[in-house]
Amino acid sequence: MKLKDLTNAAIAGIDKKLERFDPKWQAAHGKGGLRSRYQDKTGIARHREWRGVKDTFVDYTAWLNNLLSMGKMVVSAPIPVLKGFWEYRWMGSYLGTFAFIDRLFEGFRDEELKIAHMNMHCIVNSLTRKIALVLANDKRLGGGKLSDRMVPMDEVLPPLFMAGFKNLIPIPIQTLPEFIICDIDQHLEPYYIDVAESFGLAADVCSRCSAETGVAIDDDFPIVGKAVLTTNMPCNASEATSMFQRRRFGLPDFPVTMAMIHNEPGAHPYSTQVLKDAIAFIEEHYGEKYDWNALFARAEHMNEQNRIELEKWELFKTPYSALCGIAESLYRLYGWASVNGQEDQFTYNDRKVLKIMLDAYQRRHEPFGGTTRHRAFLWGPSAVYYTDFPTWVQNCWGINIVLNMDSTMGHNMISTTDPEQAIQDLALFSEKGVMRHHAVGGWENVNALWEWAKKFNCDMVIFNDNVSCKGMNGVHALMEEQARDLGFHFIFLEHDLEDCRTISRRDMRNIINNYMTVVLNEKPLDETLVDFDDSLAW
Amino acid sequence: MKFIGKLLKTVVLTALALFVSTFVIYMFNLENKLIYKVIYPFLQKHYNSQRRDRRI
Repeated sequence: MKLKDLTNAAIAGIDKKLERFDPKWQAAHGKGGLRSRYQDKTGIARHREWRGVKDTFVDYTAWLNNLLSMGKMVVSAPIPVLKGFWEYRWMGSYLGTFAFIDRLFEGFRDEELKIAHMNMHCIVNSLTRKIALVLANDKRLGGGKLSDRMVPMDEVLPPLFMAGFKNLIPIPIQTLPEFIICDIDQHLEPYYIDVAESFGLAADVCSRCSAETGVAIDDDFPIVGKAVLTTNMPCNASEATSMFQRRRFGLPDFPVTMAMIHNEPGAHPYSTQVLKDAIAFIEEHYGEKYDWNALFARAEHMNEQNRIELEKWELFKTPYSALCGIAESLYRLYGWASVNGQEDQFTYNDRKVLKIMLDAYQRRHEPFGGTTRHRAFLWGPSAVYYTDFPTWVQNCWGINIVLNMDSTMGHNMISTTDPEQAIQDLALFSEKGVMRHHAVGGWENVNALWEWAKKFNCDMVIFNDNVSCKGMNGVHALMEEQARDLGFHFIFLEHDLEDCRTISRRDMRNIINNYMTVVLNEKPLDETLVDFDDSLAW
Repeated sequence: MKFIGKLLKTVVLTALALFVSTFVIYMFNLENKLIYKVIYPFLQKHYNSQRRDRRI
């Protein structure tokens, strides 16, 4: 007997002995489940999930790796990081990161756990470096050598075109204090929303825009750079936010007003010109010359990531994709919208992940032990506010979130030889960015949802209904009618994006519970997950 | 030779101690309990006492 066989036999023996501690085994045998180990309401587990020897070790190693990245962040800029914790409310919320990762990958095993952690570690590594960099150069905290080489820009503007300024560092300004952190701590944004509303901002605007406005008024945005790029963010309330933020920063700004209804060919020359003007603005204010070769080098990375993404899509269409749910959605959203081809680690990670996915596909590996009952296309900003929702629907009801709308963002290739072609490609790429493409880019783009769902062999569509989104409120009945005509299981999932006081996570889960029990007459995979109170959880 | 043996023993014992201590923290979710019950409430108290110039 080889050593490997002996080890495997020993591990199998231990797993058998300890299987009663595995929450998935408990759920299958009516002796508990994934929620049994939590302290009431807090979302804090008494102990971590026992997943068997191998998978527990994978999870433990990933935890250590993330801990190391956070340690590196503190060591790289100890004083600014400590000052940041003391100065900014949102920094305190990052302490919930470990619990956040635990929530995201609850019930994950085998390849899906491994890939999920590989993707997540890329995000943690990138974010921790970015936090250290921004705080070390934040003028509120004393500034640094790179303060004036940073270009704060609106986070919904894909930063790839800025790669042509090889001496400058684009910083998606809302990402750290608002966008990512609202996933980690549900109690953070209500504070900022209240700040904005106390100044008269209407309570029925998109809560994300309110929260960003609150961050600005509370002076919780780090201040870096000499000039700022704002945009006509993809909804009306956001435009107001951009205006407030611009005033509060007190920096010269250029609004990169890309075409909103962008499917018409006439829109592209306009967006191309706006990008050219933005480049000219940065050249003027930072005294830097645009270098097309520097852009091409990063565009190569973005192109490769997009090529790999398209290969992943072929696997998503089958029941054998080891990458799904939030591990797919959050990674693509962060990797596309925030990193946007500018970090090599994402390309290397994509190559490794694709290899594991192909291997799992060849072995016909079904994720989550083959418990999937429905394949759903999620049309919603899952990575905002209630990020572990895809994990919950999988574990509780066997609904596999095959793809999320965020993952369909710009995947056209960008020329790496011709500057004029490259800027046109970048315009199209940027028009297909967050929300512009999905919600307010015209009816055709919203209605494309059915094509996406069909293409990925989904029998279910979960459509997030942001109760404060004026753009999407009008399409509710239209979508219901179409779902009926086309024969999809269709769930409208109400939420108030970042304000857990209006519609709680529990309320959101109950919408799914009601559909699954009343309409589909199905039984949950894990009884402990059906209804629970996590109102005090991060 | 004796020195190498001693060094090896120290390295192995240190690695083992590190593994055991971090695994206990990990398995019993100790870092999250500490953050949730002590550090986070302390920081919230501090943030709530901050004075901000919110004039617009």
